[in-house]
Amino acid sequence: MSKIIVMTSGKGGVGKTTSSAAFATGLALRGFKTVVIDFDVGLRNLDLVMGCERRVVFDFINVINGEAKLNQALIKDKRIENLYILPTSQTRDKDALTREGVEKVLNELSKEFDYILCDSPAGIERGALMSLYFADHAIIVTNPEVSSVRDSDRILGVLNSRSRRAEQGLEPVTQQLLLTRYDPERVEKGEMLRVDDVLEILAIPLLGVIPESQAVLRASNVGMPVILDEASNAGLAYSDAVGRFLGEDIEHRFVTPQKKGLFSRLLRRSA
Amino acid sequence: MSIFNFFRAAPRASAVQAKERLQIVMAHERAGRSGPDYLPMLQQELLAVIAKYVNIDENKVEVKLDRGGDCSTLEVNIELPAREQAKAAAATKPGDKPAGNDDAATKRPAGGAVGNAGGKKRI
Repeated sequence: MSKIIVMTSGKGGVGKTTSSAAFATGLALRGFKTVVIDFDVGLRNLDLVMGCERRVVFDFINVINGEAKLNQALIKDKRIENLYILPTSQTRDKDALTREGVEKVLNELSKEFDYILCDSPAGIERGALMSLYFADHAIIVTNPEVSSVRDSDRILGVLNSRSRRAEQGLEPVTQQLLLTRYDPERVEKGEMLRVDDVLEILAIPLLGVIPESQAVLRASNVGMPVILDEASNAGLAYSDAVGRFLGEDIEHRFVTPQKKGLFSRLLRRSA
Repeated sequence: MSIFNFFRAAPRASAVQAKERLQIVMAHERAGRSGPDYLPMLQQELLAVIAKYVNIDENKVEVKLDRGGDCSTLEVNIELPAREQAKAAAATKPGDKPAGNDDAATKRPAGGAVGNAGGKKRI
């Protein structure tokens, strides 16, 4: 039985797509057959972050409308075994996502895949609602910043009231926090909310803390999920988060400022 | 940095303010989310009943629900017009009151429960 995960946040620009790409890649690296679906109809970007933008022929909406077969739209990752991408349409709008259509595609995918990761668009409109409706697990991507935290709380409310599990009175969608763009040095200076502050406010378990890192932009520049950059703190933090998601007990790293030695100061190596 | 800054109390860290503001606004929003949606109806019907007997200004009515841990309170605040003005208003058109009746009006203090709607003042 496959599991459906939604990567969601309410607010835009907090790192949903970056996290979806990294997380899906991490699951595939651990041997799980994984597909990551872009639900941001009209503003497709997962293909760019995954580096498969030139291989998109058919998309999610084509499959929903019966214009293409699922196998024609699925793109197999060239680097990682077991990893597939289902891109979305760049020309349609979110109304193309019907509940029946999405359900049909998810049902078909669940026969083949261990994990189906839904990359939600920002907002709480149709696209976001469709991406979370069928979810078993939700990963809430949040920045340590007031508007992001508030929007995350809002999306938690939506998950608890408007997901399939909520509507049918099933066991609730599990919810975990992925705190991204965390800057321990600014936290030390009192300029940024602490992990504990955000946890206290949102009151959901912590899946991982991804430090602010230049590696994220470098990775998206070249279309590589940042988790593959094993020299970067962000990549390692994503890897840890995937491990925790799978039930491993892994201590949180990169939550306190790193002591810079003379050598690293001279080299000014970025994380 | 001036030497005087050394003696000045350190400014409150902005992250602390961020947390406090979030806690307040989100407590409010969460209450609204799980709150009953009959409040607007209740407000309208209460008003209709009271308006049968007293000439009230619809804009001076406040219905508030506070959800506490053990008990919640429903608070209804209605500002009643002063006696003379109520009479005058009754004689003329309702709602067409002269300006400046705020001073004479009876403003109910906050913190009451449902039965709060009636004023102490006899009309």
